[in-house]
Amino acid sequence: MNAALPVLSCCDLCYRVGDAQLLQGINLGVHCGETLGIVGPNGSGKSTLLKLLANLRVPGGGEVLLHGQPLKKMSQRTIAQNLAVVEQHADTHDAIAVFDAVALGRTPWLSALSPWSAKDTAIVEQALADVDASHLRSRTWRNLSGGERQRVHIARALAQRPQILLLDEPTNHLDIQHQLAILKTVHALPVTTLIALHDLNQALSCDRLAILQRGRLMALGKPLEVLTPQRLLNTFGVQAHYLTDPFDGTQILRLSSF
Amino acid sequence: MTARLIFTFSACAALLLAVLAGVAIGETQIEPGVVLQVLANKLWGAGHVLDPIDEGIVWNYRLTRALVAAACGAGLATCGVVLQSLLRNPLADPYLLGISAGASTGAVLVAVLGLGAGAISLSAGAFVGAISAFALVLLLARASGPTGASAQIILAGIAGSQLFNAITAFLITKSASSEQARGIMFWLLGNLSGVRWPSVWLAVPVTLAGLAVCLWHRRALDAFTFGADSAASLGIPVRRVQLLLIGCAALVTAVMVSIVGSIGFVGLVIPHAVRLLAGTGHGRLLPASALGGALFLIAADILSRTLIKGQVIPVGVVTALVGAPVFALILVGRRHTR
Amino acid sequence: MLLHRVVTLVASLTLPALAQAAQTQYPLTLDNCASPLTFQHAPKSAVSIGQAGTEMLYALGLGGKLVGTSLWFNDLPAQYKAQNSKVERLADNDPSFESVIGKRPELVTVQFEWMVGPQGMVGTREQFHELKVPTYLMPSDCEGKDNLTGADGTRMQPFRVDSVYKSISQLAEIFDVQPRGEQLNNQLKSSLEKSIASLKGKDLSRTSALFWFSSADMDIDPYVAGRKGIPDFMLNTLGVRNVVQSDEEWPTVGWETLAKANPTFLVIARMDRRRFPADDVEKKLEFLRTDPVTRNMDAVKNNRIIMLDAHAMQASLRMFDGLETLASAINSHDLPK
Repeated sequence: MNAALPVLSCCDLCYRVGDAQLLQGINLGVHCGETLGIVGPNGSGKSTLLKLLANLRVPGGGEVLLHGQPLKKMSQRTIAQNLAVVEQHADTHDAIAVFDAVALGRTPWLSALSPWSAKDTAIVEQALADVDASHLRSRTWRNLSGGERQRVHIARALAQRPQILLLDEPTNHLDIQHQLAILKTVHALPVTTLIALHDLNQALSCDRLAILQRGRLMALGKPLEVLTPQRLLNTFGVQAHYLTDPFDGTQILRLSSF
Repeated sequence: MTARLIFTFSACAALLLAVLAGVAIGETQIEPGVVLQVLANKLWGAGHVLDPIDEGIVWNYRLTRALVAAACGAGLATCGVVLQSLLRNPLADPYLLGISAGASTGAVLVAVLGLGAGAISLSAGAFVGAISAFALVLLLARASGPTGASAQIILAGIAGSQLFNAITAFLITKSASSEQARGIMFWLLGNLSGVRWPSVWLAVPVTLAGLAVCLWHRRALDAFTFGADSAASLGIPVRRVQLLLIGCAALVTAVMVSIVGSIGFVGLVIPHAVRLLAGTGHGRLLPASALGGALFLIAADILSRTLIKGQVIPVGVVTALVGAPVFALILVGRRHTR
Repeated sequence: MLLHRVVTLVASLTLPALAQAAQTQYPLTLDNCASPLTFQHAPKSAVSIGQAGTEMLYALGLGGKLVGTSLWFNDLPAQYKAQNSKVERLADNDPSFESVIGKRPELVTVQFEWMVGPQGMVGTREQFHELKVPTYLMPSDCEGKDNLTGADGTRMQPFRVDSVYKSISQLAEIFDVQPRGEQLNNQLKSSLEKSIASLKGKDLSRTSALFWFSSADMDIDPYVAGRKGIPDFMLNTLGVRNVVQSDEEWPTVGWETLAKANPTFLVIARMDRRRFPADDVEKKLEFLRTDPVTRNMDAVKNNRIIMLDAHAMQASLRMFDGLETLASAINSHDLPK
C-alpha cells in the first residue's frame, strides 16, 4: 500500500448556493489510515466540504477522487461501500430499535441476491460493541440520550465497514465524558478518518489538520505546525499560546480573547 | 420463516372473510345461503336456480365493490406509507401531492362546465386533473430549489392542492346548479356505487403493481429513516428513488381517486396504526399496511351502505368519522410511550 | 223584431259587465311567495327564467311581450315555435343578472326559487326589486317547500296541482288576459280528468313505478323521484305506487335497492342537456338493458319503459301532457294482478 497516494482527494473544489460562495479552490488529499481533522470558525465550510467529499452534494467546480476515481462516475452504492458518514443532525420520529438503526448500515451490502445473513448480524453486533452500546440494542431511538444517539450513529457508520469514515462535529452537544469517549473510539479505529471539530484542543490529537476560513483552505499539515498562534489570531481571532502538560508532556492550547 | 408464512396465511384468510362480509351485507337483505349459492354458481358452475336480480346484485354489484374497496384501501395505505417515509413527515398522505384536489377539479370541469359534452366520464376527467395537478406540484418543487428536500415537496404539494381546491370551489359556486353540485359532492366524498367489473380489472392490478414496486424498494425506504442525506450515505440513489416512488404513489393514487373519488384518512391513519403493531421496517410495514387498508375500507363501505336504511352515505364520510377519532387516539397514545 | 232588439239590448248591457268582471283592476297587488308585487299596468316586456314560465306565457298568447328566455330543458312544442322565433334566448341554462336586467323587463318569471332565492344563482329577489323589476316565482316551487334544506329543496307538503292553475291565473291577471287564462286552466283541468278517466276500472293495486332523471356518472346511484314532488303527484293521481320512499324531491338511491323493489314501470327522462352521460335517454336505455342487474328487472324484461320529457316532470303545462302519456302507456300494457 502506497501511503503517499491519497485515498480521498479533491482538486479545485468549489460550491456555491445562490450568491454565497461556500467553498473555493479546495485542494486536499487524505492519506490512508490517517485521522485528518478539519477546523475553522462557523461558516468556514466544514460541513459543506464533508458533504461534497461524500457525494451528498454536487460541486460547482472541481472534482473529488476516491481511490483516484472521480466520484461522479461512481454509483452511490459503490461510494457507500467505501465511505461512511456520521452527520451532525440526524434524527428521526420513527420508533426504530437501536439494533435496526445500526443494521441500516449494512444497506450498501445487501441486495436481492445477498439478503440479510448471520454475517450481517455479527457485523452489527461488533459495531455496537465498538462504541460500547451493546446494552442499548433493544432500546427505542426515542428513549436514548444525545450521547447514546451519537454513538449509535457511529455504530451504524462502522457497520458499513467503510475504508473511510467522515464525521461532522460528532461531539457537538455532548457531555464532556461522552465527547472524550467518542474521540478516543474514533482515534482507535483502523479506518481512515476525516473529522470536523470545533474544539481546538481536541483537534490537536489528529494526525493532520486542515484549517478552513471563509471557504478557503488556509493551511494543511501537522496540528502543532499549522495551529500556530499567528494562525489562531488570523483565522479564529483569539490569542493563544501553548503550554506543556507536566503530567505527560503533551502540548495544550491556552486561548484568550482580547 | 414460519412467522412469515403464518402472517401471510392469516392475512389472506382475513381478506377473504372481509370480502365475503362485503358481499353478504348490503343495502337490501339477501339470505347468506343465497349469497353462497351465487358464488358457487359463478365460481364453479354449481347450477343452483336463483333469482337473476339477486345473482346480479351479489356478483356484479357487491363483489366488485368489495374487491375495489380492498384494492383502493390497500393502494392508498401503501402510498401513505411511502410518502410518510420519503418525505419524513407523519402527516403526509397520498393527497399531499395535489392529486385529490386535481381530481376534483377535473371531475368538476366535466360535470359542471360540461367539458367533453357527456362523452368523457367523471373518472376520465378526474384522472387527467389528478395527473396535471401532480405535474404542476413537481414543477413547483423543482423550481423552488434543486435539492429535492422534503420540505419543498410538501410546500409545493400544499400550494398546488390549495390552488386546485380554489378552482374547484370557484367552478362549483359560479356555475353549478344544486343538482350538479350535489353530484360532484357525492363523488368528491368517495363513492363506490358506480363500480363494476372493469373497475376491478383496473384497480386490483394497479394496486398490486404499486405494492410490488414499493416492496422491491423496501430497503431504500428503510434507509430514509434518518433523512435523505443519510440515505445517500447508505448508498441509495436518492433523486432516482424519490422520483420513482413518488411517481408510483402518484399514479396509484390518481387511478384510485378517479375510480372512487377522494376517500380520506386511509392513507394517513392506517400507516400509523400499523406501525404500532408491525414496527418500522418496510418489509413488514408495507404488506401489513396494505392489508390494514383493505380491511378498513371494506368495513367502511359496509357501514356506509347499512348505517342509514335506504340511503348510501359517501364512504369518505365514514372513513373520516372513524379515522379522525382513531388518529386522535394514536397521537395521544404516542405521548404516553415517551 | 222586438225580441231581436231586446236580446241585443240585454246583450249590450250585460256583455260589458261581463267583460269588465274579467278585466284587471290596476294598480294590482298580489302576494307571491312571501313577497308583495305591485303592477301599475300590464307589463310591456318580460324575461323568463325557466321553460315553465316561457311556455305559460306563450300559451296565454303573450309571446309578443317576451324579450328574453333562459333555462331550457327540452324542445318547444310546435304550437309555440312561431312566437318563440322572435324572442332572444339569453341562455340555455342560468342567465347572468346583467343579461336579464339589460333587457329592461317589467316582469321576470322564475321557475325555481334557487335561481333568485337568498342564495340565488342569477341574483336575489331584492336585487331585482331594487331596480323596480318584479320577479314572479312559480308558487309550485315555494308553497309548502323549504328551499334552503336538501339539495333541490324539501317539500313540507306534497305538490298540489292547484299551484299550476294559480300560476296561470295570476300571470293572466298581471297581463290582463284573464279570459284566456281561465280558458287555459279549463283545458288543463279537462286534460287531467281525461287521464284519470282513461284508467278507471283498472286494477292498479299491484302497479308501481320509478322515475329516473339522470345520474352523475353512468353506473353510479341515480337521481330518482321521491315522495311529495311532481312525479309522485302524477303517480298518485293515476293510482300508481312510487317505489321510492324518500321525502326528498330527487334523492339518490342505489340500483340494488331499486332493482329489488322491481317497479312495474320505469319512467326515464328525455332532455336536451348533456351535462352527464346519463342525460342522454338512449344511454339510459342502454344501461338498463345491459347492466347485469337492471336487465333482469320486470320493467326492463317486458319493456315497460316510458320516456318522458324532463320538462314534463316539472310543475308546468307539460306536466299534463306527461300525465296523458303516462296514462296511455299504462293502459297499453298488461298489468300484474
